Amino acid sequence: MIFLRRQLPLLITMITGLVFAGQYYVPHPASEQVLTSATKWMQIIGGFALVLGVTSLFHVHAAKIRRKEAGWGYSVVLYAGMLGTIAVGFWANGKESVEGVSTAFGWVYNFMMVPLQGTMFAILAFFIASAAYRSFRARSREAAVLLIAAVIVMMGRVPLGEYLIPMSGDLSQWILNVLNASVRRAILIGVSLGTVALSLKIIFGVERSYLGGGKE
Amino acid sequence: MLKKPPSVFLASFRSSTYRAYWRQSTHPLASDRSERFERSSVCTSLALHSLRPCRRIFLNFLLLIVVYGVSSTIVLAEDQLAQPAQVQVFDTPNDGGKSLTVVWAAGSQDREDVRYEIWFGEVGDSIEAGPLKVIAEFPSASHYVRESKHGWWTRVGALTDHRFIVRDGKGIELKDGVRYQVAVASVRGTERLMGPKIIATPQPNWFNWNAVNNLVLAVLFGGLVFYSISQAKKKEIFLRRIPGLDAVDEAIGRATELGKPILYLTGAHDMSDPSTIAAAVILGRVAKRTASYETELMVPHRDPITMAVCQEITKQAYLEAGKPDLFKEDSNFFITSDQFSYTAAVDGIMLRKKPAANFFMGAYFAESLLLTETGASTGAIQIAGTDSDHQLPFFVTTCDYTLIGEELYAASAYLSREPVQMGTLRGQDLGKAVLLTAIGVGTVLATIGGIFHAEWPQLLLELFKDVK
Amino acid sequence: MSFAERMLKIDRRIIFVVIGLCTLLPLLYPVGLPIKISSEVRGVYDYIEQMPERSVFLLSIDFDPASKPELYPQAVAILRHAFRKNLRVVTMTLWVSGTGMADQLVTQVAQEMGKERGKDYTFLGWSPGGTAVIINLGQDLYNTFPSDYAGKTTKGQPVLDGVQSLRDVSYAVSLAAGNPGVEAWYVFGKDKYKFELGGGCTGVIAPGLYPLLRSGQINGLIGGLRGAAEYEILIGQKGRAVAGMDAQSATHLAIIVLVALCNIFYFSMRRQARRQGERS
Repeated sequence: MIFLRRQLPLLITMITGLVFAGQYYVPHPASEQVLTSATKWMQIIGGFALVLGVTSLFHVHAAKIRRKEAGWGYSVVLYAGMLGTIAVGFWANGKESVEGVSTAFGWVYNFMMVPLQGTMFAILAFFIASAAYRSFRARSREAAVLLIAAVIVMMGRVPLGEYLIPMSGDLSQWILNVLNASVRRAILIGVSLGTVALSLKIIFGVERSYLGGGKE
Repeated sequence: MLKKPPSVFLASFRSSTYRAYWRQSTHPLASDRSERFERSSVCTSLALHSLRPCRRIFLNFLLLIVVYGVSSTIVLAEDQLAQPAQVQVFDTPNDGGKSLTVVWAAGSQDREDVRYEIWFGEVGDSIEAGPLKVIAEFPSASHYVRESKHGWWTRVGALTDHRFIVRDGKGIELKDGVRYQVAVASVRGTERLMGPKIIATPQPNWFNWNAVNNLVLAVLFGGLVFYSISQAKKKEIFLRRIPGLDAVDEAIGRATELGKPILYLTGAHDMSDPSTIAAAVILGRVAKRTASYETELMVPHRDPITMAVCQEITKQAYLEAGKPDLFKEDSNFFITSDQFSYTAAVDGIMLRKKPAANFFMGAYFAESLLLTETGASTGAIQIAGTDSDHQLPFFVTTCDYTLIGEELYAASAYLSREPVQMGTLRGQDLGKAVLLTAIGVGTVLATIGGIFHAEWPQLLLELFKDVK
Repeated sequence: MSFAERMLKIDRRIIFVVIGLCTLLPLLYPVGLPIKISSEVRGVYDYIEQMPERSVFLLSIDFDPASKPELYPQAVAILRHAFRKNLRVVTMTLWVSGTGMADQLVTQVAQEMGKERGKDYTFLGWSPGGTAVIINLGQDLYNTFPSDYAGKTTKGQPVLDGVQSLRDVSYAVSLAAGNPGVEAWYVFGKDKYKFELGGGCTGVIAPGLYPLLRSGQINGLIGGLRGAAEYEILIGQKGRAVAGMDAQSATHLAIIVLVALCNIFYFSMRRQARRQGERS
């Protein structure tokens, strides 16, 4: 049992990790073919994994309805929405429109999903404003510098800002292109080193907690 | 063959050294032709306007003819269209095949009005059997070897040579193992001079020597990490305070006092992303604490595989804390992989269950502010850790503590204090020091190279070139 | 509680109303302020402009309806430009929830420009795998998308004549709202299969893509609604993005005013606290 739970996954990780790290340096079509096959495997496994997810979703919400937990009505809405959309999707053969005519699935997509998702994203503008009002204060010199930079970029990115302060456009470009890009590169270097170190630890079995914590 | 004017033939009998001598003798800042014409005009004006004896006039006139004749010959010599020299055609090294490289020497004729054509065709039973067609045409002052991204260790030809790569695609069909003939032609107006037809066969390669510097750097960094791990096992390593991680205990303690749950998110990516793996590793530590404090843990997921892995990690953490009976299978649950549907669901959980602490670890996109701002409105302690640099401003503004970039990867070391984890961190720091030194030294070298027009700094700088 | 304290703890719904009005009013009463063209947007425009007729242009519509307000106008402007230049336009998406929207978008602009499906353009649709799709496309387009979104076999379509994989694409642009998006197209596409790449993205993630732009990994970047408005001006067809710029101007100004107010209240509160401290 311990072999199946520990050693075998570690062995698979090590072999595939080394093979695909090596694949990067092999330009031969055979190596590309290996990569293509692996990505297809990933797609297939990913497809089956969805079953896991949907099972979990059904289980959690079924438990809520059964126990009549607070807000169990929303779980009923979830069931209805999910099963209804699946049924409509099958009926329309997964097509939103056939020869320019919208199907029932297309109706769900256009008149439910599109506005709902748009609404969620639009909330971002309101939240940015409230978060800025609540926490964007010049508490220290560093915060003051950030504040000034933010105001310049906000002015420079819209026509009104450029109209009121003509140099704000060029200044904001400079902030984005020079200051922002260099700081992001610095963060990126740190992140990349961390990523490589973590990958090496996983490949060589030094980091095992992702398999379920525990040392052995 | 195209007809050439007689003067061109005449000029072509001159030796190359003769031409070179004349070019060197002119002023370095003056172009050859303009300098000569100017001098002749001065001579002419002097000869015509001075009132001297006839003999002198005659001699001047004779001199004028000679000077004019010589300068015309030189202009014509430079105007001559030469065929491409030292043409080499070979399989492009270090690639996946279906490609040939053509290299030829730069000529004195590389000017605006001269163009190069690349002729290409299959080889039939005899060389002449396969018809050639033009596949590319470009100005003569372009397509140099120096423009290629290759480092000095794989570069073929001198930096001043011309280079063209014939690739499969865009109307050209190249198959591996098939012989092709390639020729380069110099063209000016209607005049064309063909170089020799050369046969080459494209082949795929098994190793990309262009990327060998990348491999060496990766192996060196790996060695550095494992060396640091071995050192960490022998002696203790100092780790600076990370306030965000010190607050983990505080957040869990607060949740326990208030009798409220803890919400932990693992980000938008799947298990193939290191940030998700780091988030899963930290979850193990957090779950261990929540198990010992007997606090409820909720982990909503966007990816089913991450959910399955995190379930295992949480289960193990509860076992290690000695509270396996408290472990709930559905503490890790899947919502949806859709960005904003997931966000809406998590926001709903925050508003209904009012968790005392929210953890946002892993990769995030536009949903970050929607999640953290809702969390802030419920009064929860919020700790974020992400390598998504573009979302950092939102996390910093709305969360109590934020782990920036690689701090996310350092978190598991900080929480566990295991030598392996600590050694990895030291290895990362050493790697960063090496990179910083390389950036500093590289900047100095590039500046020296720029000021003194020296080529040797390039040899070192190219070692850090990213060549695929 | 002092006035400043009360103002700092103002109900956030009041801020929401202010932002709502700042968005709505300029849309109803547009001003039409001049828009300056940035070099990063011009990068994409100039590249398409110099492409010879019937070159292959790949547009990956990597966003879902949530990002429609920002990225839809970008897609419309780029498609209009590409169709006007008589390029062969190959479109696709890496975001499953954006498939229907992308199809509508491409069909609508193509009809407007009088282009024929299969001959002048195609919409390949979506294929599972995210970034893996880019790798597969680099190997063989017909294996990755045996048929287009309309169900027609891709092999033999005149628009794909001479196109076998990503190596045959002259220029690709990814309009992305996240991952997989511009970065994935660089790492798994351009880097491996050598084609020129441009990007478009939402305003939120644009600053994150500047390092790619600066290092030449992408040759241009259309950032957010502003970028879309600039592109509309470049092609001389003002649309939704230009119309939305006034609203964006107003909301930016509103946020700046809010931040300024919050700082005024914050400093007055600090001064009050200092005075009280001195008295006691």
